[in-house]
This record gives sequence, structure tokens and C-alpha cells, in this order.
Amino acid sequence: MGIAPPSAAHQPAVFRRLRARTARNGLRVMLASGRVRLLTMAFTSAAVAAFTFGSSWYGFHQLAVNGIPFKGAIVEGLFDLLFFTLGGMLVFSTGIILYASLFTAPEARFLLATPARADHVFATKFQAAVAFSSWAFVVLGLPIFVAYGVTAGVPWFYYPLLPAFLLGYVLLPGSVSAALCLLLVRYMPRNRRQFLLGVGVVAALAAGVWLYRVGVAANASITGGGRDAVDVLIGQFDLARGGLSPNHWMTRGIMAAARDDLAGAALPLALVWSNGLLLYVAAAWVARRVYRTAFDRLAGGGRAKKVYGSSPLDRVMEALVFYLDKPTRVLVVKDFRTFRRDPTQWALLVLFAVLILLGGTNFRQFYRENLALVDKFIVSLINLFGVSILLCAGLSRFVFPLISLEGRKFWVLGLLPIRRGQILGGKFAFAATGSVVVAEGLVLFSDMLLGLPPLAVGLHALAVGVVALGLSGLNVGLGAYLPNFRETDPSKIVVGFGGTVNMVAGLAFLVGVIGLVCLPYHVSVIARLSAFESGGGASPVLFAGVPVALFAGVLAVWLPLRAGRRSLETMEF
Amino acid sequence: MIELAGVTKRYGPKVAVEGLTLSVPDGELFALLGPNGAGKTTTIKMLCGLLFPTEGTVRVGGFDVTTHGDQARALVSYVPDQPFLYEKLTGREFLQFTADLYGMSPAKSRDKIAEVIDLFHLRDFADDLTERYSHGMRQRTVFAAARVHEPRLLIAAAPTVGLDPKSVRELKTLLRKLAAGGMTVLMSTHTLDIAEELADRIGIIDHGRLIGCGTLDALRTQSSSDGSLEDVFLKITDEATAGTAV
Repeated sequence: MGIAPPSAAHQPAVFRRLRARTARNGLRVMLASGRVRLLTMAFTSAAVAAFTFGSSWYGFHQLAVNGIPFKGAIVEGLFDLLFFTLGGMLVFSTGIILYASLFTAPEARFLLATPARADHVFATKFQAAVAFSSWAFVVLGLPIFVAYGVTAGVPWFYYPLLPAFLLGYVLLPGSVSAALCLLLVRYMPRNRRQFLLGVGVVAALAAGVWLYRVGVAANASITGGGRDAVDVLIGQFDLARGGLSPNHWMTRGIMAAARDDLAGAALPLALVWSNGLLLYVAAAWVARRVYRTAFDRLAGGGRAKKVYGSSPLDRVMEALVFYLDKPTRVLVVKDFRTFRRDPTQWALLVLFAVLILLGGTNFRQFYRENLALVDKFIVSLINLFGVSILLCAGLSRFVFPLISLEGRKFWVLGLLPIRRGQILGGKFAFAATGSVVVAEGLVLFSDMLLGLPPLAVGLHALAVGVVALGLSGLNVGLGAYLPNFRETDPSKIVVGFGGTVNMVAGLAFLVGVIGLVCLPYHVSVIARLSAFESGGGASPVLFAGVPVALFAGVLAVWLPLRAGRRSLETMEF
Repeated sequence: MIELAGVTKRYGPKVAVEGLTLSVPDGELFALLGPNGAGKTTTIKMLCGLLFPTEGTVRVGGFDVTTHGDQARALVSYVPDQPFLYEKLTGREFLQFTADLYGMSPAKSRDKIAEVIDLFHLRDFADDLTERYSHGMRQRTVFAAARVHEPRLLIAAAPTVGLDPKSVRELKTLLRKLAAGGMTVLMSTHTLDIAEELADRIGIIDHGRLIGCGTLDALRTQSSSDGSLEDVFLKITDEATAGTAV
């Protein structure tokens, strides 16, 4: 037609003003009506940062105790692995948030119906998504590297360079993730399910083979020891340590700054930022080319009509909560059905399942290697913590948002002819049943593989049972006490104020319970075995923490559920 | 203003709109009627550039929305049935954002914002955050925003839902006034008496196909009925369903 499109040069400034205004107004509202909330957020963030700093400082201090050079190859390898892992996680988390922001959010529909250019819409959503997915990376990354700086003794410029490195790095996985997200939606074959299944199977196989090799190498280095075994283990991470790998640029830059080599730090920093910005521009270019057509394709990618019916799994769920009355059982099955029909929930569940299975494979490896009893005790304790942390993450992701997700549909529950406390009871039963079955199953299975004595198995079963019940109470109760009805994306509910408080409370609770129930016994046994002592029964003093942990478990269920029930009963809709 | 030529939109195997040809001239108030799932929203989304036709062309103000979407969207305002507002902006800030997005000069946007605030009676709450608005307040704010940049085509989905009787009355007067001033208005609605009262022409869409289009009298002739629009609508859709079944 030969007509120039209307100028869009002013649009970036318009979106900047929009972000500034919404941030300013949000802060004002928070200061006016939620100072306690703001203070709690600041306190919990500070507590998490302090904990990370403390544990990192201890870890680095152990390096010094064991005579491992602070600025040598081992620490470099650890940093490479840290950035590689976090980068991988950022790719997934940014992609999931960006997908929701670009394709399912009402704001996207609003903006796409205006003359806003696709790449400008993309840019504003990208910045929000990266900020959302990466704040934890920066908040947790800084204490780790500050702890390193404190213990290693670094020049002053190391500290101001840290945020520059960390902020630059988040652009790289974020941009890759954004471009992949757009291209996948735009060009994914019509038979989406088969395609995703195929890609998932290939990715899972590749990851499985690699992790198996890592596991074998790790076992060899633990059981056999020796430089060659460690070299083989480190060799598994060559991909993450190559000269073209961004995580290695990060490591090189931070280590150079730590070695008082400012020039050596500047080049990797420039590499990180220039490549990050280049990738960001490339992602914006992709957005300009494909965002609108991808949106159309997603909206138009219908499939043959599917008839949804009940599943045997629903009946299993209902049977598991047989002790509840019929209306509450119906609510439990409703929550379960909603959960199993939400593919994003399933995707994360599969991720958790893979992690748990990998854990199981490693237990089998340890079993085959016939570890010494002292090592079995250490491994079982790590396993107990691992299962509990997975449980904490899983419940925070799936159960905490349950009440918030009722959102504007809350009137459906509000008008039901049952007490609102029953609604909460149903959600608690749903969470507790699933988590107790899964957690107890995993812990008992691994303990049996390791061949632990019955007393240790019993303590583990008790601890993980208390953790599962307590975390279920915390997640359901705090989910009702601190709901976020305005948000429809569960991943954003989880990282909001209520979700953060819940996560921190959950972590503190599980550390406390395991510390009280299992730690004294384990420390005593490990100390005795290390000193080659045998015989001697366990002193009753070692179990003094058990009643305290049980009481803490009761409180973790009762207090949040009571607060949540009161909040729910007075809730208007 | 609106030209749809042989437009088909498929959602995978499902045909949402089939062979739709429709022309709406400048200054006409056109009502799109149809049962739930008939294809009204899909048609509207194609006009806004949110979706692209699988076949055929959609033109707004002479611009093909597929190839010249930026130009086409600059002429359009869309008021969806679920209005979107930024929760942490005030109504006035939202109006300013809309004016800025459409590239209006500061002086002009200031005048227009003041004008629409008066027109839609937003003064009492224009400086409150929109998260505190009722549905009616949200709807009025979104209409004000749709009006602020003086579009040539206003598209509204179920515009009267959630409005009180006085606001409905004022909206009807406004829509007629806008059309009289040369703006094209296309609305989809299930409230047949509003369509009967306001529309210059009415299109009835069912199973993705335009099964009736014209003035109320023309539709009466088509359906061989002298009744209200409700009678005419039901007769035409029933006949179309029977024809499809045969």
C-alpha cells in the first residue's frame, strides 16, 4: 500500500512511564496500608540472605580448614557449576512466566489491540518476567559471593562488581528463554502434545544419561577417591566450563576480581553484558517478527473436541480421604481434578518426579557400592533433608495458591451449604494425604536400600511425617490467611509476599523438626562410628527433641489453619 | 470503514467463522447478534488485529489488518466484555497512558482527558486506583479511554453489561451521537432491544456464517415476520439450524 506505519518512537518512553507509575502507586499503597507486610518482606529477605551468607561462609571456611586454595581450580569448578545450574533454572522460570505474560494475560490482549508495536510490548513484559524470575538469583547470589569475598580476602572493587556481574548474567538465560518461548509457540507443530512428548522424552533421556554418568563419577570419587576420579567427575561438566560458556565468563570475571586483577575482570564482564544485550535485541527482533502471529496461532490452535470424564485416579483420591464427610471429599476430588487437568502443574510435577527418581538411582548406586555405615548415616540424613525440601517446594507451588486461585470464583465456595472451615479441612486433607504418602514412601524406600537400623528408619519416618503434616498445615493455613485474589498465575502467587513468608516458615520448620528429631541421634552415631566404638545403646537424651518437634508439628498445623479459617470465615465476596 | 471479504477462521479442526463477507460504511452503528459460540467474538478479534483470518481479508479504514496492522489498529478502539485496567493506575493515569500510546500531544491529551472525564462522569473517582472500582466504574473508564484518542471505529462487546440504567441510557445516547458524528460503531450484544433501538443495521451470525444482515425491516422481510427483533432473531436462527440439520 506504500503507507508508512504511524511512528512508534515514543512508545518505549510511554511504557517506562507506565512501569514507573505502577511501581510508585504500588509502593504508596503498601506504605499506606501494609507496613507490616513490607517489614515482614524485608525481614524474611534479610533472614534468607543472612542464612545463605552464614552457610556459604561456613562452606568457604571449610575450604580453608582443608587447605583448598580459595582462588584455584576447585572453587572455579564449583562456581562454573553454580552458574550453569542457575542459568538452566532461569531459562525455565523466565520462559514459564513470559509465556503467561505474553499469551494468556489480559494485559497482552489489551496491548495487542492497540497500535503498540509487538517488540515494545515484548520488551516491557520481558523486563517484568526477568525481574520476577531473577530476583531470588540476585538476592541469594550476592550473599554467597560476599561470603566468598570475606573468607578469601579480596580487593575493594570485587564487591561493586558483583551486582554488575549478576544483573548482566540474568539477561543471557532470559533472552534465550524468551526467543525459544516465542519460536516454540509460533512454529510448534499442530499436534502439540505429541511434539512436546517427543521433545520431553529426548530431553529426559539426554539428561538421564548425563546425570547417570555424573552419579557414577561422583560415587567413584567418594568411594575410591584419588585425583583421577575427581578429574572424571569434573570432566562431566566440560560443557559448562568451555571458553564460550557464559557461566565460565562469570566465574572467570569474579575470580579475576578476587585475585585483584581488574583488567582480567573487565573482559568477562564486557562479554556477559554485550552478549546479554545482543541476545536481548535478537529476542526483541524475534518478537517483532513472530509475536502477533504466535498469539494468533495459539488462540487458533484448537484441537478436536475432547470429552472429559472422571478418572480412576479421582476414585483413588476419594478413597484415600475416606475418613472425611461426603461434601469435603467432593471438594478434595475437585481440587485433585483441577490439579491433574492443568498441564503447567503436571510439567512441574514431572520435574519433581525426575528429581526424586534421580535421588532413588543414586541411593541404589550407594547401596551397590556397599558404603560404610557412617557414610550411610550421612547419606540418609542428606536424603531426608532433600525429600523434605522437595516437599516444601512442591506444597508451596501446588497447595499454597489453592485458595488464591479461587479468586473471583470464591463466591462458588462461599455459597456452598458447608462451613468454610470444612473447605480448609478438605484442602488440608488433600495436601496431607498426598505429601505423607509420597514423603514416607521415598524416605522408607531409600532407608531400606541403604540398610539402616530400624531405630534410624523409625526416626526418619516420624520426622518426615511431622514435616509433611506441618508443611500441609502451613501451606493451607497461610494460603487462606494471606491470599492473593488478584493474581491468576500460581507461579507469581508463590513468589509474592504470602508465598515468600510461607516458604521461609516452611524451611525453618523442616530444619527445626529434622534438627530436633534426627540430628542428635545421627551426630552421636556418626561420632561413635568414626571413633571406631561399637555397642552401647542410644541415650534417651538424644530423643529429648522428639516431643518438642511433635509439639511444633501440632502448632504448625493448628495455628495457621485457625488463622486461615478465621480469615476465610470473615471473607467477603 | 469495515470490509470483510470471504473471511474464514479455523481453530484447528473447528471452523469459527466461515466465508464471512460484510461491509460497514463510515458513521454506521452496526449490531452483531448471534447465539453463544456463533463467531461474534472471533470476528471482532480479527477486526482488532488480535487474530488473523485463515482465509479472506479483513480491512479497516482501507488497511489490511494482516499486512498493515499498525495503521489499522491506530483507527480502532476496542472495548471488550471483560474490560482491562491496570490495577495500580488511577483512572486518570490510565487515560493518560492511552493518549500517550496513541501518540497524542500533551496539550490535546489534557483537553480530551478532561472532556471524557466529564462525559462519562468519572470525576468522583478518576484519581482513585482502578483496583477499587466497581464493574460499572471500570466499564465507564474503559469507554472513556476508548474515546480519548478519537478513533474512527469503535468496537464494543456487550457494552451495557454491568451498567446501571442511567449509564445505559447515557451510553446509548453517546453511541448514537458518535455514529452521527461520523464514527463507525460495531457492537456485539445479546440485549436485543438495545440493538433494535440503536442499530442502523443488524448482522446475525450463527455457526460462523452470516445468516442475516440488514435493517430491522429487511430482516423482518427475510424472516416473513412482523414481530420484534427477538421474534425475527429466533426465527432466522431456528431456520438456519433446521437448514444445517437437513
